Amino acid sequence: MAEKGAEEAAAAVDVAVPEGASIASGDNTVWTDVSLLLEAACEDLRDGELIHGDNFNLFAAMSALEIMDPKMDSGMVCKYYSVDEAIENGAAPVPISFYKTVDVQCTIDIMDYLLACEATWHKGHSLAQTVFSCIYLLRPDRTSSHALLHSYCRVIRATCKAVISVVSDARTHEEEDLFTMAYGLPLDGDGDEKCLSLLNAVEETISRQLRACKAHSSKRRVLEDIEPLQENVDLEEGYCKALLCRLRFRKHFYHVLTSMRRPQGRGLELARKHIATCISELECIRKSAEFLRSIACGACDDDTEDRTTASGCQPIGFDASLNCRLSAPTPPRTIKILSWKMAIDYFVKLLHDLDIICSYTLDPLLEGVLHFVVQFQKSQPDLVARAHLQLLLVQDGKLYGRDSMFAVITRAAALPEVTKNHDIQNNEYIGQLGQLVINKLKVLCTNSAWQRRKLGKMLQDWRVIYVQLELAFRKDFGDVLSSPDDENVCMKIFQHILLWVEEQTYWIASRFLILGFELELYSPSEYCMVYWYMYVVLIKLAEKTHLKMAARNDTNKRKGKKKRDSLKDVAREYRIPPAVLFVQCQICLVEGLTMMLAALRNENMILQSPNPFNTEQERFFQHFELLQKACVPDHISYPAFDESTTYARISTLVMYNYFKDAQRIAKEVKSSFTNDPDKLAELRRIEQVAEHNSIALNVICQVGALDPKLKVSFEFSHHPYFATAVVKRS
Amino acid sequence: MEGKKEGEGETGKSEFGASEIEYVSYGGEHHLPLIMSLVDQELSEPYSIFTYRYFVYLWPQLSFLAFHEGKCVGTVVCKMGQHRNTFRGYIAMLVVIKPYRGRGVATELVSRSIKVMMESGCEEVTLEAEVTNKGALALYGRLGFIRAKRLFHYYLNGVDAFRLKLLFPCPELYPSLPMMAKTEDSHCHDDHIQPEERSELHQHL
Repeated sequence: MAEKGAEEAAAAVDVAVPEGASIASGDNTVWTDVSLLLEAACEDLRDGELIHGDNFNLFAAMSALEIMDPKMDSGMVCKYYSVDEAIENGAAPVPISFYKTVDVQCTIDIMDYLLACEATWHKGHSLAQTVFSCIYLLRPDRTSSHALLHSYCRVIRATCKAVISVVSDARTHEEEDLFTMAYGLPLDGDGDEKCLSLLNAVEETISRQLRACKAHSSKRRVLEDIEPLQENVDLEEGYCKALLCRLRFRKHFYHVLTSMRRPQGRGLELARKHIATCISELECIRKSAEFLRSIACGACDDDTEDRTTASGCQPIGFDASLNCRLSAPTPPRTIKILSWKMAIDYFVKLLHDLDIICSYTLDPLLEGVLHFVVQFQKSQPDLVARAHLQLLLVQDGKLYGRDSMFAVITRAAALPEVTKNHDIQNNEYIGQLGQLVINKLKVLCTNSAWQRRKLGKMLQDWRVIYVQLELAFRKDFGDVLSSPDDENVCMKIFQHILLWVEEQTYWIASRFLILGFELELYSPSEYCMVYWYMYVVLIKLAEKTHLKMAARNDTNKRKGKKKRDSLKDVAREYRIPPAVLFVQCQICLVEGLTMMLAALRNENMILQSPNPFNTEQERFFQHFELLQKACVPDHISYPAFDESTTYARISTLVMYNYFKDAQRIAKEVKSSFTNDPDKLAELRRIEQVAEHNSIALNVICQVGALDPKLKVSFEFSHHPYFATAVVKRS
Repeated sequence: MEGKKEGEGETGKSEFGASEIEYVSYGGEHHLPLIMSLVDQELSEPYSIFTYRYFVYLWPQLSFLAFHEGKCVGTVVCKMGQHRNTFRGYIAMLVVIKPYRGRGVATELVSRSIKVMMESGCEEVTLEAEVTNKGALALYGRLGFIRAKRLFHYYLNGVDAFRLKLLFPCPELYPSLPMMAKTEDSHCHDDHIQPEERSELHQHL
């Protein structure tokens, strides 16, 4: 037996209890001296054996490491024991070279590699292994004699600090916690907070050097006597330009981060200006590669896409293995730093994402906010952009740090004006409802994997608050409710809020189901049940939205009764609102997809092999467990799904073609959304899917009976989650 | 229905019949080096000997090895236990060496473990697989696993993982289900097996 339970082994050894142990041992335990046990064990144990307690678990087993195994032992010396040793050995000289041209060239490489490191960090690796693999950053004071390098290092540290603060304040990073780990890293260099003044001074000097060299080349008289940047006159202009765009990018990027943090979105307009500058400076940086490569030619790597600097040269002063030895949260594995090109692409994307946030008009209507966040997430923004969005939306428990949650709910639920100052806002459950809205907004800003899980769990909260509110309202206003006066304000509030809570619940449920497609959680054999579930949820959503809008119109009508033409009023009342029709055409589409998939299965046109261990029923339960637990919707279960799909046949589907309905409604409702390009585009996609599926259905019906080898598969070529059928002869 | 065969390297495929593969339950320390070397060469993350022992000592009945002409060509390592309110099985490692992939060896190995888990009272079985590991995803899909969640940046290389889950039918609720009648026949799926069949333990070390 290689492993011995500690107790068993201890029994064989005479154990002495030490007198007066200073630390309390806790309930049912005593301190014992295990020296003898260990001594005895040393004699007995062979390689690979250990003594453990009863609580030895998988985590403990996996935490054990084998000394001198390069994959496990982070203490293994790769090159240097410490930063000081690395510096003593000349790993990060200051100046980098006494030959100024080389010094400038190497400084640019350091800047470029730091950019690649920074992007790699943003993309999910630890700060210690990326940006802080730079020895110059680890010893803030050492660079002070080198103004250029010093200013750059300072702004990098300050930027990292600002980015960490955004992400940790937003707490959108539950699964991305590696991001904010910065133990032991010198994020607070002395004077880093003044990084911009030094940066400005260095920028000023280099722009003068650039002016001087331009004047010199055009044989104009030099206005001021200024020492050039480096020795080689032919390279002076190129180097000055390469440095200037790099420094300016850092300056404006830092400004972007700080202006976006100003309360209530007051700095957004300013941030947009800095974003625009950042993007143009990044283009200059990109263009400078040609010059830098032409000089470095020969001395460096081949022209590969992997190179981590513009010149292609390896930067001086980096050692990722140093932090492995020095800081705990760094695994002993080497990571791959993004290429310099990909790093620039990353920053361009980040800046575009931030620009979308900054150009947002701070819509006071919650519906608009939700729509914006969902649209924003479609471009798959990374952590830093998502964190900024979240901080903008929710500040101090208010929307944009401006509107109280009660005001937001009042507006969203279309409550009458009087509600704003109504006592009801002090109701405990209304307060909780406000908190749920905040959580919902925050969760919608997280990465889609995390978001889906949180939305699924959140459904229960919304369901519970619905029940609680209903009970509370009945209790508090029971007497008034029973009175026949239907003008009663409490009654109105009561109905509106409950209706709105339900609408929100179904909205969350539909988002939960849709995200499953984006995350590729459904396999083709499960599409049928997923579309069916979407169908039952969307029906409810449409119903609640319709009721809410009817109630809103009701309120409005009352308000302006005398002014309006009563005939027009009646006409308006019978029209289904476009927002409801919009959901309606999605309903037709998912119903059509459900039935088409079911019919194909029922007629054996899609291969379904039985699973050895369970059935469709278990898979149904697993996929929709969270919805079912929250009773979203009520009375929905596997038998209901089974019942509604068992008898689906292609021939009946052709007779009653749901896709044609979807197409028709989409066409009709388009005119109501001429001012909403997002909705219009969505309607166009729905139309396309419906049209293709309608044709596919006809083909299957006509050819299917004659050709048993007809193959039908589904693709997401026209829409991210509404599948298009593809029919092929095999 | 699952992804069609991907370009698996046909070269170097071993010629063998399904009946030539011998499946053995974990039988003691002499099997440990075989399991370790197989997992070590296929998976990027290193495990100490204690991790292996943790599994095979506590649940020897859930580990299996596949032999061809005396050579170990595949292995599966699992555990089971209480997780929140359920008794659940967990597939920690599944490896089949390249020349033997695509022939149902992995399906047979993992089916044997799952069967023991079910008989031992497990309500469900879980594991994690890289989202890019098409072979493993198809294999587990055929066995009835669903992709329950996506785990963002789960592996240290930044790749996402799926948490796969297999829920066993609840006998009290649906006594009529024709469950588990013929798992012995499960190598009838042989010709659909994908390459790269393996799962990885969670690697946040």
